[in-house]
Amino acid sequence: MRAYQDMVFSTAVRLTGNPAQAEDISQDVFLRAYESFDNLRSSPKAGGWLKTVATNLTLNHLTRHRKRWRLFSEIFSDDSREEELEASAESAAAVFDTVLTELEADERRALVEKALERLPDHQRIPLVLYHYEEMPYQDIADRLAISLAKVKTDILRGRVAMAGLLTPGGPGAPDDPRRSPSIPRGAQP
Amino acid sequence: MSSRDQSDEKLERLVTQVLRDQPLRRAPASLEARVLGELAARARLPWWRRGIATWPATVRVPVIAACAVCVPLVWILSLWVAARVVSVTSHPGVAGPLASLWDAGHALASFGTTLSHIVQSIPRDWLVGGIIATAVLYAFLFALVAVGYSLLYRPAYSKAYLT
Repeated sequence: MRAYQDMVFSTAVRLTGNPAQAEDISQDVFLRAYESFDNLRSSPKAGGWLKTVATNLTLNHLTRHRKRWRLFSEIFSDDSREEELEASAESAAAVFDTVLTELEADERRALVEKALERLPDHQRIPLVLYHYEEMPYQDIADRLAISLAKVKTDILRGRVAMAGLLTPGGPGAPDDPRRSPSIPRGAQP
Repeated sequence: MSSRDQSDEKLERLVTQVLRDQPLRRAPASLEARVLGELAARARLPWWRRGIATWPATVRVPVIAACAVCVPLVWILSLWVAARVVSVTSHPGVAGPLASLWDAGHALASFGTTLSHIVQSIPRDWLVGGIIATAVLYAFLFALVAVGYSLLYRPAYSKAYLT
């Protein structure tokens, strides 16, 4: 269990953005693993099995609260601002570039974790599935029962929003000066 | 490739790089203790408080069989009791004091005869449909019991995020 608990917890917390829920889900994952202990004990695929179960249980958990985040997604969805989004994508790329090149690993880790937690569910979930779980757009759309176009838009908006949260003085900027990296103002989305 | 596609691709690449560079988050120290505690609590439960899938086969098979034959048995038993009541009340020694009951039984028998005529007039397809509906109801009953078990007996950890 010790070998896999960080991986299972990370999978859950990235998707939920909530450490307490992620701990509950991780517990459930290991209890299920215990039920299949005879098969998993000697299997080289135990890690993959645990990751798949963690992802599925987390998505099941999130689906139970689906109406809430879907509603917000629809309220805040604004497809008429495509030009603005295009401009934002360029400046967001500059923010991520700065985060990669100018921040220390520890500072970057803390900042990215917080930014991911603060993204709204309808952006964080497809973003995490795409970038961490390497799930194709169509699979994400099928799993979340939303359109392919919406998945792409939510992921793009999620990237831009995350850049905003990584920027000092941006919408997610914290008061804690340690979490305000030296990202140039010109790179803000 | 348009400038928009280029900027989107660049953003995607950078986000992937930033996120993949993230180390795993450390699981809370309490996680292991919670899992072990829950396993211990489950181990302390008597077998009949656990899921039916974990019951001993010597118990599980008879229980399922008993459930399957329970309804027909009750039906047959009811018919047998009704027949006994009719035969007892027709005895001369009992018929006098139980005349009113006899009348009621007679009325019930007439009702049964009428019901029998109605049943015989039901098309065969309808009867088959009724049998299928009964099977579906059995399945529904089984699902209901399973849900009841989950809600009433499953440990609190699962309830915590079911609500």
